[in-house]
Amino acid sequence: MTDTVTDQNEAIFVELVAGSWKRHAEITRNTQTDDLLVGAIIASSVNQGWALIDLGSSGSSHMLRFDHAASRTRLVVEVHSLAESLATAKVIGRLANLEIGFGMRVDNFSQVFQAVKTEIKSALLVATEPGVITVDGDLSTGYVYAQITLLVDLDDYLTGPLTVDYAKLQAHIGAVVHSLNKYLHGRLGQ
Amino acid sequence: MLKKLMDFANSREMRESRDEMVVGELVLAMAQMGMPATRFLAGADAQQVRFSTPHDPLLHNVAVIVDRKTGGGALSEAVIGSKAVITMTAEIKNYLADPDDLVGMWRTDFANITRMPLLGQVKLDHQLNSVLATKKLIVELNEYIGDPAVARPKLVALLQATIAELSQALAPYKKHSPFEVDG
Repeated sequence: MTDTVTDQNEAIFVELVAGSWKRHAEITRNTQTDDLLVGAIIASSVNQGWALIDLGSSGSSHMLRFDHAASRTRLVVEVHSLAESLATAKVIGRLANLEIGFGMRVDNFSQVFQAVKTEIKSALLVATEPGVITVDGDLSTGYVYAQITLLVDLDDYLTGPLTVDYAKLQAHIGAVVHSLNKYLHGRLGQ
Repeated sequence: MLKKLMDFANSREMRESRDEMVVGELVLAMAQMGMPATRFLAGADAQQVRFSTPHDPLLHNVAVIVDRKTGGGALSEAVIGSKAVITMTAEIKNYLADPDDLVGMWRTDFANITRMPLLGQVKLDHQLNSVLATKKLIVELNEYIGDPAVARPKLVALLQATIAELSQALAPYKKHSPFEVDG
């Protein structure tokens, strides 16, 4: 073989290996997009004074619970990725169910019990559509939560393969928390 | 009476959540160091987080496991504190591996069999295209939560020192190539 043929073969080989790694990286990045967003939610919330007190993750479903000791409030965020496969992500986008709950400590036991009763009623309504606020009460710790499920495109919060638009993410979570807080105060008559 | 019960349940919940609090601080510290979290696996016993290292020319990613050992109950926390084992694993990726590399790596793996990472040593492990360095640390969780002005610099220092040590152990095995991809 001449030097030219050898060089051409080596160039093709390098191109094939490089292309394989590029495709492999695309598949990997697709499956880690929800985790990237979960990490960004944790980082921004902890930076704003929330303490992470519960973390559950099974790969495509993640549950986070934060506590703000000074205001006796809690934040619950659940992310369920709907596009773990690259084919799905390319067709419908990197969609995910984002459930955000805001909770406040209520010392009045009857109000907590009322919330639990509402939770039982809420369970009878199958909320498969976004925009439904449900109420949840935790009798043991005295927290009452208002929560809502949203359908989001994870790519809306990314500015690059591994970079998150923190300002947008914080603004969106802040807006939901603000509305749920207002709803909860109204419901509890505070 | 009910308020007291709820207070008790809350304090127990906060005590049981010390390891999650440290994981939260870890994720923030690593994000501020330019290493975003890209993989979570968390259950009741241990939390594992993998961080990508897009700005590091050597490392492909860093994984941290927080495994709480003591302090779940009020008595054990008062007596021995909230101890946890933090396992840090750094990975380098060689984008083209050949059989000679794998034979060479086998010798290092054999030498590592008797090495106990729990003693604070760095243990190396080879897996085809990857070389991994692992170090285990026993920490007191309460030292890394609380006043952010005190606890956060301490956690950052621990992470930076451990990552530097793992990088040093991995550096001789890295083969730079035109196929580099941020993981």
